[in-house]
Amino acid sequence: MLKTYINSTIFFFKQIRKTIFLNLFNTIITLLIILLISVASIHAFKWLIFKANWKVVISNLPLYAFGSFPPDEQWRPATWIISLLLLSIFTLCGPEWRWLRKNLLIVWLGTIPLGLYLLYGGLGLSPIMSRHWGGLTLTILLTVFSSLLSLPLGIVLALCRQSSLPLTQKVSSIYIDVMRAIPLIAVLFFGQLLIPLFLPLGMEIDRVWRAIFAFTLFVSAYIAEDIRGGLQSIPNTQIEAANSLGLNQYQIIQFILIPQALRIALPALTNQSIGLFQNTSLMAILGLVELLGIGRSILANPEFIGQYIEVYVWLACVYWIVCTIMAVLARHLEKRMTINQANF
Amino acid sequence: MKINQKLFLQFGICIIFFGLIGILINNLTINLIRTGLGFNFSWLFKPASFALAEHPLPYTSSDSYAWALFIGWLNSLKVIVSSLILATFLGTLIGFARTGTNSLLGLISAGYITIIRQTPLLLQLMFWYFVGFLGLKDNMFIQIKNILNISNQGIEFSGLTFSSEFLALLFGLSIFTSAYIAEVIRGGILSVSRGQWEAFRSLGISERKGLTLIILPQALPAIIPGLTSQYLNLAKNSTLAIAVGYSDIYAINDTIINQTGRAIECFIILLISFLLLNLLITNTMEIINRLILKSREYS
Repeated sequence: MLKTYINSTIFFFKQIRKTIFLNLFNTIITLLIILLISVASIHAFKWLIFKANWKVVISNLPLYAFGSFPPDEQWRPATWIISLLLLSIFTLCGPEWRWLRKNLLIVWLGTIPLGLYLLYGGLGLSPIMSRHWGGLTLTILLTVFSSLLSLPLGIVLALCRQSSLPLTQKVSSIYIDVMRAIPLIAVLFFGQLLIPLFLPLGMEIDRVWRAIFAFTLFVSAYIAEDIRGGLQSIPNTQIEAANSLGLNQYQIIQFILIPQALRIALPALTNQSIGLFQNTSLMAILGLVELLGIGRSILANPEFIGQYIEVYVWLACVYWIVCTIMAVLARHLEKRMTINQANF
Repeated sequence: MKINQKLFLQFGICIIFFGLIGILINNLTINLIRTGLGFNFSWLFKPASFALAEHPLPYTSSDSYAWALFIGWLNSLKVIVSSLILATFLGTLIGFARTGTNSLLGLISAGYITIIRQTPLLLQLMFWYFVGFLGLKDNMFIQIKNILNISNQGIEFSGLTFSSEFLALLFGLSIFTSAYIAEVIRGGILSVSRGQWEAFRSLGISERKGLTLIILPQALPAIIPGLTSQYLNLAKNSTLAIAVGYSDIYAINDTIINQTGRAIECFIILLISFLLLNLLITNTMEIINRLILKSREYS
């Protein structure tokens, strides 16, 4: 017992020596790194515990989460966010019952009308204008709606770019290439300015939906390219086989091309939605008070002036945590999809 | 039968498409007439009457809008090229550290990559600007014999001055892009087969020499396309300059729209400037790619 223990510790140290102290150069680098890390972490701890004034975060927690949503109604966005969180945890660690797993997608889709109902109000809840939305709620809302709207548009664009009709092919190619050439902030800014110009007289869209449409127009071009990659990797023999079975054009697209292309493009698509979540922060410059915008407006408050580090570190933590949750969910989904593929 | 169906389909899509465009343009003209702006580019040659903090070429506020836009384009180019070089350097170092044998170094670079990639670029830029540079003291913070001055005004290095806006943008963009470039480099290095590593090790070539002389040249064809797309992303991300107050092409377009209200013309100008920037980057990378392929042929 003791001997195996000693042996394993010796093995452990040998392994460490092999990976960290291989030669003189490596040893020097390792020692330097250890020194650097210890100095940095001592300073960071000192700052975290003694110097930092976390009042700017703690006293404003509802603002970060819900923006200027009326205080009496804040349980509504809170319910939505908590239900999303619970659903993520349940998806990751819940039981493996087959019927439940099959219906989980429907539950996920059901969170969207639930969120809209809870935020907008009506039907028993008091209605609330979209200019009161803000904070993490608005960030999540922008991400969810833009990615949901851009997926079908992206699929259509990808199919058009692959089609044999020259006109549709040209138009969608030009659209995709132009959208991919211009920066996102330009699309968002001109979306705020130009969308009202292109609408008929008397018709108006509020800022939040203009932002969602601009994000959709931008992201769908990227999604289209990802799906096109998936479409191109489907061997031509599959289409020939479907043709010989007597499927028509639309059946081939619906049952053969799209499911496989989506499955292949899945990692790229989940990366797009994580990128989209980060990019919603750009709306802070364009006048929406989402998570970063709230941070900016809190810093403009004379009571908290100059406490940049606390606010930015806190915001970075929130973004990091949500991104990591999304990445873990995405990996879970990818694993599930490949398992399904093996079963077929 | 089949061809007829196709023609019919295309005809239908054609009608829908042009109908949609027609409706949009109709709405646009109605709205433009209503606001009394119209569509022309003659305003480009009127005096801009706004000052620019940074201009590589001589500029005064009585110069034309067109000249102001050109200055902005040059400013964009300046920050893109310099952060491109810095990001490549940093990214290569981190990519090597990530694939190297020292596991502690690998762990740290992995942590660096996740932290940088999982937080928004805009947040990082604001951090660099408000905490990194404006957080410095008013008076000269570090002075080394009048050669290097670091203060909240920026950095002065033997006569060359860099404003804090430029530096915040430079650091933010380079650090953000370096995390992505590191992943590209790592992917390229991993794409070289293990046999090559074993071969140079068994020949007694040192680890560093093997990496630079044997592995990297073989990894380059896999690295270059990924690097090009990262450079294009960097060029697009440089428009976030407006958050730190650096006058790049997008910020100047923004100012002009606020002054004149000519949103559509400015959109077209921005589109053309980015087309030029993208062409510049892709063509340069294409030349580099060809040079690499050529050098492999002769050796």
